Amino acid sequence: MTNQRKSWLIGPISPAAGGTLYQQIVDRLKREVSEGRLKPGAALPSFRQLAEELLVSVITVKRAYEELEREGIIFRRQGLGTFVAEQGRDRSRETKLAAAKELLRDGFREAGEAGLKPAEILDLAHELLKEKK
Amino acid sequence: MNNAIEIRGLVKKYPRFQLGPLDLTVPRGAIYGLIGPNGAGKTTAIDLIFGLGKNDAGQIRVLGFVHRTDAVSLKRRAACVSPDLNFEVWGKVGRAIRFVRGFYPEWDETYCAALMKAFHLSDTDRVATLSFGAKTKLSLLLALARRPEILILDEPITGLDAVSKQQVFGELLKAVEDGERTVLISSNGLSDIERFADHVGMIKNGLLLLEGRTDEVVDRYRLAEFFTGNGTSFQSREGLIILKQTENRWHALLDQKSGAHEWLQTHGAEQISLTRVTLEELFVALAKEEEAA
Repeated sequence: MTNQRKSWLIGPISPAAGGTLYQQIVDRLKREVSEGRLKPGAALPSFRQLAEELLVSVITVKRAYEELEREGIIFRRQGLGTFVAEQGRDRSRETKLAAAKELLRDGFREAGEAGLKPAEILDLAHELLKEKK
Repeated sequence: MNNAIEIRGLVKKYPRFQLGPLDLTVPRGAIYGLIGPNGAGKTTAIDLIFGLGKNDAGQIRVLGFVHRTDAVSLKRRAACVSPDLNFEVWGKVGRAIRFVRGFYPEWDETYCAALMKAFHLSDTDRVATLSFGAKTKLSLLLALARRPEILILDEPITGLDAVSKQQVFGELLKAVEDGERTVLISSNGLSDIERFADHVGMIKNGLLLLEGRTDEVVDRYRLAEFFTGNGTSFQSREGLIILKQTENRWHALLDQKSGAHEWLQTHGAEQISLTRVTLEELFVALAKEEEAA
């Protein structure tokens, strides 16, 4: 452990933001990876360090790391630390895409239940996309 | 040895209250939150760990030391912060520090200075004129600077403002950073415990109600809302605590491991929807159960 610590600007995470705290950490780290701010091979702070920085329990960060590891976005080397995986960027994009599909599916279903026809749903989607810009 | 504190079959009897038989397991390197309604026995348990009062049965092991026969070894390695501690007799903060540090070979002067700065305390402050929060911080500083292997805090954050609370938890997270030191904290600040504690144990009426990893404990329960048709009636049963009923709409706390969800589905509950709970909601629901029983 060195005293010289990078500041990890993924915080703050908050109970007000929705989703569990550990899920928020997973999402934020994925975004860092998929948007290229965290590059393959980059070292992540130990979970105790990150816990201290985000002011959450160690278990919360540990759980987030375990999930990211399972998804192949980061990997652990005994005694060395935790790093962003080579394919981390693609992986986190994949999982993001899967999540987006899921949300769209839900949205389409709700719209259908509200009585919108497929063409009207597409119009709505276009409208929302424009709004975003 | 992976547990910092092991309490087994602990019993302490008072004329109108009995603690235990209580089993409690605090893993090493963890921040453990001990929660429970007022009068549940949290402080009694903590006092017993430090040999204040004699237990009627059972055993307490702290870092493998038996709490009564190895009292000196235990007290060297464990520090306690309690609202009952009062350092006013030492006059100034500096004098209190000089007195306390003399007892502890592990005292860390650099850390002490850093804490003084972080907590905005100064050698020349008069203890008696410190605010309530500052007194708490002084107690905490005197305990932390000893670099204890185990830090036991009885209601340390009650009455602290939000900024101070965050500061205190920041220091506690730092204290356990090496994975060797352990913090046991009793508190009714449930949202803080949910956020900062790795493990949680809830006691009520002197008995342990649940214990485990905070995330797993919270994840195990759901608030259930459901509807019933013609006059079906439910009562609390294993894994299901009925919280509220208005006509045919029901609210209940549901233990997902108990099979209560499946039971409801096959016993006439309709449109069951489940929502996650916070530690606070779980606490309130479990506290209610007892009242009804």
